[in-house]
Amino acid sequence: MKIINTRLDDSARAEETMENFTALFGAQADPPPPPTALGFGPGKPPPPPPPPPGGGPGTAPPPTVATAPPGADKSAAGCGPFYLMRELPGSTELTGSTNLITHYNLEHAYNKFCGKKVKEKLSNFLPDLPGMIDLPGSHDNSSLRSLIEKPPILGGSFNPITGTMLAGFRLHTGPLPEQCRLMHIQPPKKKNKHKHKQSRTQDPVPPETPSDSDHKKKKKKKEEDPERKRKKKEKKKKKNRHSPDHPGMGSSQASSSSSLR
Amino acid sequence: MAEKFDHLEEHLEKFVENIRQLGIIVSDFQPSSQANLNQKLNFIVTGLQDIDKCRQQLHDITVPLEVFEYIDQGRNPQLYTKECLERALAKNEQVKGKIDTMKKFKSLLIQELSKVFPEDMAKYRSIRGEDHPPS
Repeated sequence: MKIINTRLDDSARAEETMENFTALFGAQADPPPPPTALGFGPGKPPPPPPPPPGGGPGTAPPPTVATAPPGADKSAAGCGPFYLMRELPGSTELTGSTNLITHYNLEHAYNKFCGKKVKEKLSNFLPDLPGMIDLPGSHDNSSLRSLIEKPPILGGSFNPITGTMLAGFRLHTGPLPEQCRLMHIQPPKKKNKHKHKQSRTQDPVPPETPSDSDHKKKKKKKEEDPERKRKKKEKKKKKNRHSPDHPGMGSSQASSSSSLR
Repeated sequence: MAEKFDHLEEHLEKFVENIRQLGIIVSDFQPSSQANLNQKLNFIVTGLQDIDKCRQQLHDITVPLEVFEYIDQGRNPQLYTKECLERALAKNEQVKGKIDTMKKFKSLLIQELSKVFPEDMAKYRSIRGEDHPPS
């Protein structure tokens, strides 16, 4: 496996969606028509030939055929008043006028990565990896760059550990000190119900149906009913007691007074 | 192609799992778990051997160095792919815009030159094999 270094221009960032892209390139699905551009070569044209000695400033030199520069088409060298003419690029040449993402069949990848939001953290990419992997590698000197810059000194091959060598792995009994328990530290998971459901998509347990939840609610209501009835009865009794003395007293005040007691 | 990666992924997952189990054994070590520890240590050696064997099949794979930077910063490496695609799209659009503009410029230039130098442009068209000026 090789590692390549591609220089990236961070300033150029696309904000358009795939829809815009296809809309832009939609009409260009067919190969571009054969270009009919003027075949000017790169760079400045050669300076005009010096005027003949004795020639006046007004006498323009006759158009001469310039010699073909390196890279120019030889057949176009004798092309009348034109110089630096060369063959036009072929119509089959792949240019930026074609949708290169569709040309290389990358629509699926584009839709996958650019269509929806990609989660920022490394633990979202490797959810089963134990430990705190979201921390920067420089934090605990575990960066991949350091592995490339300072590769470990390796022997020829990996040999199994023999019985005598295993004697060196006899450990003391008991738990590890806390500072060494890096393996057990997991990144805190968000208590978002929606995300929790997404992470449990593989679980065979079906989500709770609305009918089930309604049923539970109804049960709760039924359980509460006798209590409510009792309370109502108490209120009525109180009303009856106080009605001759305080006829204007509302039920709400009565309930508040009962709650205070 | 995908089989190579699946093979490597499988070995890496096994290796990570062995390391995790080794961590559990070590975190609260008991004298009775010495045999398990020895077994796990040898599993790790065989796991490393298996991963090393995969190296031969992946000689033609190239990985951009920037991906490692993303991983080192604790970021999702898929973000790199996303940004690459977005950048490619933006550049593609820019180049297309330039090509379209140049085409327009070319047609206008030929049109105007034909007005001023009709004979020369007729020659030019005959050289290029064009009968009519492009619109």
